[in-house]
Amino acid sequence: MLALVRLLQLASPALPVGAYTYSQGLEWLVESGEIKTEADVAEWIGDLLEFGVGSFEAPLLAALIGAWQRDDTIELARLNDDFLASRETAELRAETVQMGYSLVRLLSDLPGFAELAAGRERLLAIDEPAFPTAWAAAAAAWRIPGEMAVPAYLWAWLENQVMAAVKTVPLGQSAGQRLLAALGSRVPAVTERALALPEADWHNFTPGLALACSRHETQYTRLFRS
Amino acid sequence: MNAPFDSCVITPAGSAAGPWRARLQLGFERRGERTVLAERSHIGPLRLQKALYPEGERICHGIVLHPPAGIAGGDELSIDVTVGAGAHALLTTPGAGKWYRSAGAEGRLRQCIEIAPGALCEWVPQESIVFDCALGRLETRVELQGDAAFVGMEMVRFGRSASGERFTAGDFRSAIRISRDGRPVWLERSRIDGGGRLLEAGVGLAGWPVSGTLIVATPVVEDEVLEAWRGVAPIEGDGAVTRLPGVLLARFRGSSCEAGREWFVKLWSAIRPRVAGVPVTVPRIWNT
Repeated sequence: MLALVRLLQLASPALPVGAYTYSQGLEWLVESGEIKTEADVAEWIGDLLEFGVGSFEAPLLAALIGAWQRDDTIELARLNDDFLASRETAELRAETVQMGYSLVRLLSDLPGFAELAAGRERLLAIDEPAFPTAWAAAAAAWRIPGEMAVPAYLWAWLENQVMAAVKTVPLGQSAGQRLLAALGSRVPAVTERALALPEADWHNFTPGLALACSRHETQYTRLFRS
Repeated sequence: MNAPFDSCVITPAGSAAGPWRARLQLGFERRGERTVLAERSHIGPLRLQKALYPEGERICHGIVLHPPAGIAGGDELSIDVTVGAGAHALLTTPGAGKWYRSAGAEGRLRQCIEIAPGALCEWVPQESIVFDCALGRLETRVELQGDAAFVGMEMVRFGRSASGERFTAGDFRSAIRISRDGRPVWLERSRIDGGGRLLEAGVGLAGWPVSGTLIVATPVVEDEVLEAWRGVAPIEGDGAVTRLPGVLLARFRGSSCEAGREWFVKLWSAIRPRVAGVPVTVPRIWNT
């Protein structure tokens, strides 16, 4: 039961890592008119869930949790490096590095959690801990199993994406909840596939995301950092 | 006009003798002011057609030939290139690469490029065409040491779209990993299923048949180069650029390989004087 409570804390939008400042290209897509409606949002986020986050970041997160559980520092460094190298654009890379940094700092500010001590030390030894690397450290320390951690991580990403769409399109709060309900119902299948996917089959080819995020770098008026 | 293609589909080269197992190893070295082809060996029908010096003796251009002009199911090809300290090699291909329709076996091409300090390798093959029902597996590994530099161009057309063919079945997977001193600076693993959602989805190819990437890996990418790249747009299709640590990247999706290539050549031209000391000389074989 405690693991669930800890997981809710970790996946909460209240986690002070600044997730809400990133739109991952949505802001540009709205500005350029490519995304106009609730249906457009559902399609874009649903495809990213399937072909980006769900098929690369999610299985990588599960592997990171496993590496933290085994305290396999070589594997942690390798997965962290691979994740950073897989970020498609400057802003997407800066996003995970900033959120990773903030989460490491936050974990360091929780001295009451003795179970985090070992992970904290290891995290500080990684020169640029990515967000999933730091997140996995906390999940492993709090004994949250991969089959719970991965859907929660996907959910947190989904919630952030939908909230960014609600702000930019803009959409009403009910539309936001409809989107979360519809997209959320795809999380179990995406998780199941992610957990079963061998590393040789991980894939992250989403050129549309890369193009949108590249263009966001030079967008004139921006509220979001990606 | 489709006859040559169709005959290849029905009788993929190599089928009489079974699938190809081929390997090409090339080693470039700098001797004095010259880049020489110091090592060249092959097993099977994969070879270097020519080593040329159109830009003078400092830069060696090589044309890599896959003899049946394409890769069929069951083929296993591998290319290993080493570029020694201070050398400069440019490698291209004589025409479009082809990934033929497969009855069930995967066709594989593995490419490994090692680049020593002070060296530059420009890997600029012509486009690849993934035939409908192809099962293609492309793996590219680039290992940079010290201040080595790499320029890589990749352009893939899904389906022989010029003749109306679409990529409706089969799948194409491509993994690229570029490392400097053992740590990855760029990693992408793509998987495109024939008839799959990524072909049409906005996050994917958005209905365009051609996808391209131009990547330049150098220790430092100056602001002026990024600005210059941002100032050039493709004449057709969709393209944008970004900069990552030690990597400058351009992406393209469109209906025409030529438009993509033309854009990439402009971008390549904007950075080549900095990485190679000379402007771009487009390989003549591209125009034949």
